[in-house]
Amino acid sequence: MGGYILKRLVSAVPVLLGITVIVFAIMSLIPGDPATAILGSYATPENVEKLNRDLGLDKPLVQQYFIWIGNMLQGDFGRSFALNRPVLDEVLDRFSATLVLAGAAFILCAVLGIIAGVISAARQYGWADRAITVAVILGISIPSFFLGMMMILFFAVRLKWLPVSGMYAIYGGGDLPDLLRHLAMPAIALSLVATGVVARLSRAAMLEVLRQDFIRTARAKGVGEGRVIWGHALRAAMVSIIPVLGIQAGFVLSGAVYIEIVFQWPGVGRMLVDAILKRDLLLVQGGVVFVAACYVFFNIVVDVAQSLLDPRIRT
Amino acid sequence: MSLSNVTRRGFGALSAALLATSALVLPAVAQTPPEALVIGQIAEPKSLDPHAVTAVNDFRILMNIYDGLVRYKPGTLEVEPSLASGWEISEDGTVYTFTLREGVQFHDGTPFNAEAVVFNFERMLNEDHPHHDTGPFPLSFFFSAVEEVEALDAQTVRFTLNAPYAPFLSNLAYPTGLIVSPAAVETHGADVGRNPSGTGPFKFAEWRSNEAVVVTRNPDYWDGTAASEALIFRPITDANTRVAEMLAGGIDMMVEVPPTALSQFRTDDFKVAEQAGPHVWFLILNAKEGPFADKRVRQAANYAINKSALVNDVLEGTAEIAAGPTPPAFAWAYNEELEPYPYDPDKARELIAEAGAEGAELTFYVTEGGSGMLEPISMGTAIQADLAAVGFDVEIETYEWNTFLGRVNPGLEGKADMAEMAWMTNDPDTLPFLALRTDAWPDKGGFNSGYYSNPKVDELLEAARASTDQAERAKLYQEMQTIVQEDAPWVFVANWKQNAVTAANVQNFQLEPSFFLLLKDVGKE
Amino acid sequence: MSTFIKLLARNRLAIFGAAVLGVIILLIVVTPLLPLPDPDATATADRFKRPFSDGFILGTDHLGRDLLSRLLWGTQLSLAVGLAAALIAGTVGAAIGIVAGYFGGRIDNVIMRAIDMLMAFPYILLALAIVAALGPGLLNALYAVAAVNIPFFARNVRGVTVSIAHKEFVDAARLSGMGHIRILTTEILPNVLPVVIIAMSTTIGWMILETAGLSFLGLGSQPPQADLGSMLGEARAALITAPHTSIVPGMMILLIVMSVNLLGDGVRDALDPRLRSGALSRPMAATLVRRDETPPEEAETEAVLSLENLQTRFEVGSRIYRAVGGVSLAINPGECVGLIGESGSGKSVTALSVMGLVASPPGIITGGAVRLNGQDLIGAPYRRLRALRGDRVAYIFQDPLSTLHPLYRVGDQLTEAIRVHHRISRDAAHERAVKLLEDVRIPNARARIRSYPHELSGGMRQRVAIAMALANEPEVIIADEPTTALDVTVQAQILKLLDDLRRDRGVSILFITHDFGVVGQLCDRVAVMYAGRIVEEGTTAEVLDAPAHPYTKRLIACVPELGAGRRELHAIPGLPPAVDQLPHGCAFAPRCHKATGLCATSEIELTGTGRKVRCILPEEDVA
Repeated sequence: MGGYILKRLVSAVPVLLGITVIVFAIMSLIPGDPATAILGSYATPENVEKLNRDLGLDKPLVQQYFIWIGNMLQGDFGRSFALNRPVLDEVLDRFSATLVLAGAAFILCAVLGIIAGVISAARQYGWADRAITVAVILGISIPSFFLGMMMILFFAVRLKWLPVSGMYAIYGGGDLPDLLRHLAMPAIALSLVATGVVARLSRAAMLEVLRQDFIRTARAKGVGEGRVIWGHALRAAMVSIIPVLGIQAGFVLSGAVYIEIVFQWPGVGRMLVDAILKRDLLLVQGGVVFVAACYVFFNIVVDVAQSLLDPRIRT
Repeated sequence: MSLSNVTRRGFGALSAALLATSALVLPAVAQTPPEALVIGQIAEPKSLDPHAVTAVNDFRILMNIYDGLVRYKPGTLEVEPSLASGWEISEDGTVYTFTLREGVQFHDGTPFNAEAVVFNFERMLNEDHPHHDTGPFPLSFFFSAVEEVEALDAQTVRFTLNAPYAPFLSNLAYPTGLIVSPAAVETHGADVGRNPSGTGPFKFAEWRSNEAVVVTRNPDYWDGTAASEALIFRPITDANTRVAEMLAGGIDMMVEVPPTALSQFRTDDFKVAEQAGPHVWFLILNAKEGPFADKRVRQAANYAINKSALVNDVLEGTAEIAAGPTPPAFAWAYNEELEPYPYDPDKARELIAEAGAEGAELTFYVTEGGSGMLEPISMGTAIQADLAAVGFDVEIETYEWNTFLGRVNPGLEGKADMAEMAWMTNDPDTLPFLALRTDAWPDKGGFNSGYYSNPKVDELLEAARASTDQAERAKLYQEMQTIVQEDAPWVFVANWKQNAVTAANVQNFQLEPSFFLLLKDVGKE
Repeated sequence: MSTFIKLLARNRLAIFGAAVLGVIILLIVVTPLLPLPDPDATATADRFKRPFSDGFILGTDHLGRDLLSRLLWGTQLSLAVGLAAALIAGTVGAAIGIVAGYFGGRIDNVIMRAIDMLMAFPYILLALAIVAALGPGLLNALYAVAAVNIPFFARNVRGVTVSIAHKEFVDAARLSGMGHIRILTTEILPNVLPVVIIAMSTTIGWMILETAGLSFLGLGSQPPQADLGSMLGEARAALITAPHTSIVPGMMILLIVMSVNLLGDGVRDALDPRLRSGALSRPMAATLVRRDETPPEEAETEAVLSLENLQTRFEVGSRIYRAVGGVSLAINPGECVGLIGESGSGKSVTALSVMGLVASPPGIITGGAVRLNGQDLIGAPYRRLRALRGDRVAYIFQDPLSTLHPLYRVGDQLTEAIRVHHRISRDAAHERAVKLLEDVRIPNARARIRSYPHELSGGMRQRVAIAMALANEPEVIIADEPTTALDVTVQAQILKLLDDLRRDRGVSILFITHDFGVVGQLCDRVAVMYAGRIVEEGTTAEVLDAPAHPYTKRLIACVPELGAGRRELHAIPGLPPAVDQLPHGCAFAPRCHKATGLCATSEIELTGTGRKVRCILPEEDVA
């Protein structure tokens, strides 16, 4: 097991290196420069040129890349031009917020999606199945940002049940109930599409599994239907659900961008959008490398989870 | 207990105690605490180092933490004493001597004195200063006329200019002239922007990235203590979310209310404040090439655009029609006789026909948002439709603000025929000087991106800037406005009335023509 | 193609999707002809008109533009962009996937690594960066959305291509000297195309959403041009004052994406061969029962298990397969009865019907009774059925690899079998499980109990299955071809084991098989099934020595016997009848060399007592 994990970790290194090259290349291709962004309205060509020199942006690209990588390996992600703050501090701050949001949405989509999918499969063609099918179709068709807007309008502005935006109350709060109240709407809006996808794939996986011989064996043993569905069948279905969860985790992480904008969540997605638009090179590069590393790491976690679940993979 | 320990939880305890009795009957969403004022900001501040920032959004916080040597008198753009209790200007207008207020301390406990003032300006202007590397200082050119800053004694500072420069005092009142504690710079280096220390009515308490900047009352403030215990600045970049927060009671006040949302606040629960300011919203026309090289076509554009529809409908009355390049807020310099171009599409068509520019294809740079840009996309779209009505084929290209500036500031030549632009300045000198002179063409380091050139205007502007006699300056500027309006290098569109909304229980709030947010005396009932 | 249409038409949700999409497409096609105002004409004085006011059907937006007109033109644009993005992404992605999958090796490795990297990138940020690099504009947004979806297509298509690239016909093409290009275009592409089409039809909706998202962020269409995303983005500022300006484009996006998704799902389902058979429905906990007549709940009988005129059928669409057409069979205490027949004869369905384990849908028990000690089990409440399953009546199935749960340790599966019926501690159950494994002669049982099924040999697995059947000391064990999947020596061991257990414990066995050789070793009596009915019954010795039914005789003749020297093996000519089209009279008549006209005229009864046969011209007299 340990060896397997190590192997997976080692194989992630070239992927991560490749990602740094892609980020760097794309950011270099984007026209416009950070000096303009820093100088704001006062960006005269002269000032811009001087500032670029100060920032080391007049060096050849390859050299810039290696300086960046070299510094990063020593834990120095550089300083954000636009925020005037070390990239690592900003990214860690933001990333933890995104992890909370995406994590909550992911848990929601995994739990609700699987439950809905299992019920839907177990009650195939029944009213529950139909209701879930319709809900799932609606869920995967609604743009998350539109849903978010409507939720704010309804639950926060009209009913005043939940706070409009942010992650913590600005005064008081800071505790778990406060976080949960702020988290409710964005997490639901973010999880909806993924929940739909997980539900429909769980349903398909369960239908597939329920036809297997070992389910008949379990029933022949006299195992209760609840245990047959939620134990025997779901466990086997997880083998095909887990990779889907892995993919959805990526989607949730990506989709967080819109939700973070709509709900003013202090996350890394919104930060990166701003940073890309402001040509905040180091922040974009640092942030994306972080997100990508997280994604790669999560893939490894999925693989490990898969192998823990399915003894046939381990050997 | 250090200041930064006054954290979220500190406030939690405070407000929890105060709300304890009524907590049970409160709705699910807690309202803002009575002792602190929560302000919805349009963006995360970049830095709280006043010399390192350029955005009004940052200024709104800074003006409450720091003082400058001078400041604007409330409700005006006239300069009055602040950290300097008085000053003298030499006959030739090149030497300014300030007498400093005594007994003032920075929030970190270090004394404010002449050495501190010298340190501040040296850091910005002198490349050899040991802390010059804590920059960059993008607005340091405001003081490019300063040749020398000296501490004559502990309470006296002398600035020597290389030439007479009328806007100098006004620039000192600008946030770039705010005074930072030298000790804070020495301790924190480039991170002083996150650990600010000034002399202002509020001291910095904490900055939670993307959540809030909290400042608390400075009990030792030299000009009387503040009305509120604390100010909490929340960055809510999305205007819509900001409005929703305001309606839901999550913030006590917000600035830059989107015009479309203003009607929501015309109730007893809210107060709307408005203040015309030194702002002008215009279209830069490319006078160097294409159809706008012809004055008649530029005038035609001014006639073709329905400015009253723009300010009254698109901007919902949050702006007034601009007549010329100088906003009326600079009362003494403004030419009262100037009448805006009327909306007259027929006249426009006539002029276009005369110039033979019928059906010209135009590229129009529009930005998505930006300081003082007032609904730029809606405005651009409406303008596009107006110009289409007189036969122009206008293609819009939208850019994010910084990208937009990166395209417009180097000049429109070869790229576009027109571009949106807005300026807010605190003196009548800066904008025309930087954007209308021949010597301010982009290749000479200015912002005259449309390549307007009129030697008479150049002459008037140079003279007005060097003069220290206000009456003479007024005459020169008024003449300039008449010429520029006739030449129509821009389409003069709107002067913004800045707005802000506060909850009904917020007292003593008023907007300043400077567009700064001064909250010392603002409190809740 | 016609099956495709037919299947699609059967899917009600897909039809609904198609209808909605059809209406939308019709609307946008006729949009240029409709008397609509110019979508870009502003009239700021008329801004934010509510729907149905002053002649504006959907109202106006923040610049007083007619929302209906903008909506229709915007929908046109958004649909076109979504479709174009799907086409571009599908084409480019498929090309990359095919190349990677076909050439394999280093090319594959390099391409897939690059794809991995792109997929590790948050896709919205990638799209954003691309738009930032290309400049804003709907066309650029389209490229960006297409580009970020290429990896998805490439990956899918590569997988399919890899599986095709090693098929015989590709090898054949290669050997015949075809060039790579030729093989790719004539052999691979046609086989990959359906996958690409399915993937495209299911992602168009997604593309529309993503493009709308970019427009929402202001990076898509440029004003005044309307597309749904930019309409929504522009309307956002007025969300609270004039919500209709947001809701109108928002609902349209929802409708389009929903209908595209529904239709896409329908297309996928109709094209997917697995679903085409209609087989993807899950079996319920117990077989459905729909008996016209309910037999008495109790009956006096000596037999521990008796089947009375049991009828089980499968209903698939409009077809009815009568798998079990009235089977009566009794098993006495301690007796081993063999039920023998070819595959498809209904013997397994008979066995599964006993405890309601026939998959349903499509299986339904439509008649008869199954009595355990006289009590009818058909139609018994699920709780009772469940309590008896594995406790009084246990099953052993054919292929232990697929019938044991692959993800549970065998010990857990064993203890579970005990603990669902007996409240005993985990430890006690564990001890009992070890004992059971020892009973079925698994060496080193205490270690093996921690094994997963895939870690055991076939014979060991079947021993585990037998141990599981024995766990609660049942009265009856129904063994459904338990030795078929095993090789001959193991088969003999298992049979020996079953025989010993039967004699030691006095358990009754219903032994389902197609092999007379096996029957001879184990069974006291045997019943022969053909086309869902018992055609002959008797003691094993009688039936084997003197088969009465011509079918039995032919069947026995097929069995090679050890030590019997050279004997001619006769295959039975023809095939068993399909049970949805049973012939009138004797089902075997069409294959029977003795058949006369009489055989097909009327129903033929099973005659005789003890020794029975269903034939009017039996080989042996059974009276």
